[in-house]
Amino acid sequence: MKISPELLFQYPWLPSLEDFYSDLSDPLDFLNKFSSKFQLNDYESRILNLFRAAFDNLEEISDFIADELNAYLYVFIKILVYILDNKRIANRIANLYSKQSYKELLDDKEDANLYDICRDLNLNVRYGDLVRFKEEYDKGQKEILETRFSIQFQDYLKLSIHLRDDNRKLCHKALINGYVYLKKREIKRLLQEYVRHKFMIKDVDDKNILEKLKQEFFKFEEFKSIYDNILNEWELKKEEFEYSVDIHFEEGKEFQGLFPPCIKEIMTKAEEGQNLTHIERLYLVFFLHALNFPNETIIDIFKGLPDFDRKKTEYQVEFAKKKGYTPHSCNTLKALNLCKAAKYDDHLCLKGYMSKKYNEQRAIKHPLFYVQYHQFKRSMMKNKQKESNKKENESNQISN
Amino acid sequence: MSPIKFLIRTFKDYYKKNEANLREVSDFTKREFAFLPWDKSIMLRHMGFENIDTLNQYIINSAPRHVYSSGTLYKHPEIPNMEKKGYEGCDLIVDIDVDHFYTPCKDDHDGWYCKSCLKNGKGMPPACPECGSLKIKRISWICEKCLDIAKKEVQKLLFNFLIPDFGIDQNSVMIAFSGHRGYHLKVEDESLRPLSSEARREIVDYLTGENLNFELLGLRTRSGIVYGISQKNLGWARKLNNEIQLLLTQSDMAIEHFLLNLGFKKNHIKSFLNYKDTFLETFRNSELNDWSVEGFDINKWKIFLKGIAKRVGANIDEPVSIDIHRLIRYPGTLHGRTGFKVQDLSIEELEEFNPLDANNKSKDPIVFEQEGIEINLKIVEEFVPATKIKGITYGPYDQGDKIKVPKHIAVYLLCKEVAEPVSMI
Repeated sequence: MKISPELLFQYPWLPSLEDFYSDLSDPLDFLNKFSSKFQLNDYESRILNLFRAAFDNLEEISDFIADELNAYLYVFIKILVYILDNKRIANRIANLYSKQSYKELLDDKEDANLYDICRDLNLNVRYGDLVRFKEEYDKGQKEILETRFSIQFQDYLKLSIHLRDDNRKLCHKALINGYVYLKKREIKRLLQEYVRHKFMIKDVDDKNILEKLKQEFFKFEEFKSIYDNILNEWELKKEEFEYSVDIHFEEGKEFQGLFPPCIKEIMTKAEEGQNLTHIERLYLVFFLHALNFPNETIIDIFKGLPDFDRKKTEYQVEFAKKKGYTPHSCNTLKALNLCKAAKYDDHLCLKGYMSKKYNEQRAIKHPLFYVQYHQFKRSMMKNKQKESNKKENESNQISN
Repeated sequence: MSPIKFLIRTFKDYYKKNEANLREVSDFTKREFAFLPWDKSIMLRHMGFENIDTLNQYIINSAPRHVYSSGTLYKHPEIPNMEKKGYEGCDLIVDIDVDHFYTPCKDDHDGWYCKSCLKNGKGMPPACPECGSLKIKRISWICEKCLDIAKKEVQKLLFNFLIPDFGIDQNSVMIAFSGHRGYHLKVEDESLRPLSSEARREIVDYLTGENLNFELLGLRTRSGIVYGISQKNLGWARKLNNEIQLLLTQSDMAIEHFLLNLGFKKNHIKSFLNYKDTFLETFRNSELNDWSVEGFDINKWKIFLKGIAKRVGANIDEPVSIDIHRLIRYPGTLHGRTGFKVQDLSIEELEEFNPLDANNKSKDPIVFEQEGIEINLKIVEEFVPATKIKGITYGPYDQGDKIKVPKHIAVYLLCKEVAEPVSMI
């Protein structure tokens, strides 16, 4: 089908973009055309701003313009992400770009546009009579959900499978004669997920090929200059990401090293901008609250998530704190499939510890005890170190 | 001649006489084939056949105990390395087998004995009730009641889920009696083949209703009042509401039985029964959904709804439908644990079909029935339940019993490894 250029400029991730570049055979061809058509001044700041916004986990691209250049920039950015070959960067760009697209889609009230977008993506979507499919209650207020849109369940599953919330499960949807009835907002959220995956990168098996390709691209000076700029910015930011939890929590105190594997796993997912299940989110919040992490620090951890909603997160983090929920025990974590002791081959989780009090090997029963135990061990080691330093000083004094 | 040699000869004769005569499944050359021989417990996998004739010939020559083909399509089905096979997609397979769910008659015909303490009994306990050992040998038996329940599950799956909800075209559904205690369904639809395991998990959750979140379907509390699932909600919400209405029209005894099985106490059951008529009224008036019953908080309603969902959902063997490399019995071949044929059926034929007493000879899975031929056997298992086939009941038997039975019963008992041919002892 033919899609309007306006839609393509606004949503350059649509498959019809290929028709737009039908005269180009490969990425080098594209860079050739790009550099002849646009000047560095036209686009440099837009690309760098986008990467900066992604590194800062912002939720929108401030200078996003749905113009022709935007369609070119989309491809340019994809090439950059591929060449950078860094999953964290890729995930951040994926999250930012998909959030921006979601915002654009939400602002776009035209049903016809949404329908055209779905059809361009080869999604089997139907647009028909208004169907009332659900009543929902929010704080006592009834909302009747009705829609003209339905999507074939195979396509729904393909798009929704990486979303982790219970609400997207097929068994909670109105499925009739092969079609899932969805609010427009839900379809837009699915499209956001589609866009996010467009930027995901896989591990490159042959780094030599990547390196050769990179050298080819670097023949375009503008490309090289932007690449270097981005890499510099990332190097500056990287350290901040890795220690962000400590910086806010307690000056100078390394905390993450004390975390049990179940928390490490969730934190890694959050850092990489992957979706988290509701249970994972709750557990992380309860755990960090128990260690007196400030709300702002906890909210920041969630900032990189694809579906991050600051208001909602603030409310939920504060609510959990007020309620004083404690984190789950190891038994519960096992039942919830959140225990990652085996995956991380964690000795303390798997083998337990030698209890002096009971004179026996005992299992870890709670993730907070894991932190306590490691803290204790760490302080013991520090004391030992102090002791040996002291002795050394004393012996030095004697020999002196 | 050992029982195995007897069975190999019998199977071989059958395949030879019928020239195997198997139906060619769709995309035949892309399917992986697998065989379980009689004398080995290792499956011969990763085989491909150019056409149905070569498969027929292979089966005539080897007369394997079990014959399978993949629900999956591969570029190179004969390559053992799964990653190099060239996965091209998988049909949706659903297995309904009474082995995987409770039927009341199992308490009569299924048995076990403990290899640790040698205790035996009826039914299907998960572990030995005497010593707790998991090393128990199970004897699962065929019975018309079980197979009828399995058939009804297939019909439920088709007419309550696959056709109305998933919009599956009836012509794409292949049904087969498995040759033992259930049925297989294969949906051959191009649009389903690319679905990942995760997507199939979603389909399974929909079919079974196992992981429903009732709050997402509308169950809620406000100011201490429990509000039920709105009748205006489509999908599973509607299925649950319909089933509740059906339950409420049943006798008090039936409702009590249902609630007792869910673990409700007498006082809760009493208050539920007192509320029954009011509850029915709320269903007649779609604007009402106040589910206030004395002693029923939201958690109790969740238990209740879980029980309702269990009645609505289909009893399927979940891993079979999720696995994208699953092997399934080849239609028309013999099942090595019964000697019955894996029988293809259309949706229309299913209604009248009774695998143990089929009216239609061309759809009869019992292929070794031969008038006038009887075989002498000795029972070697401690207890052998009664077997009703073609309207005649054989057994029950005890260890050491010497019996003379028609060929199809002899093949069944030998396949079940509970008897030996007498002349061979």
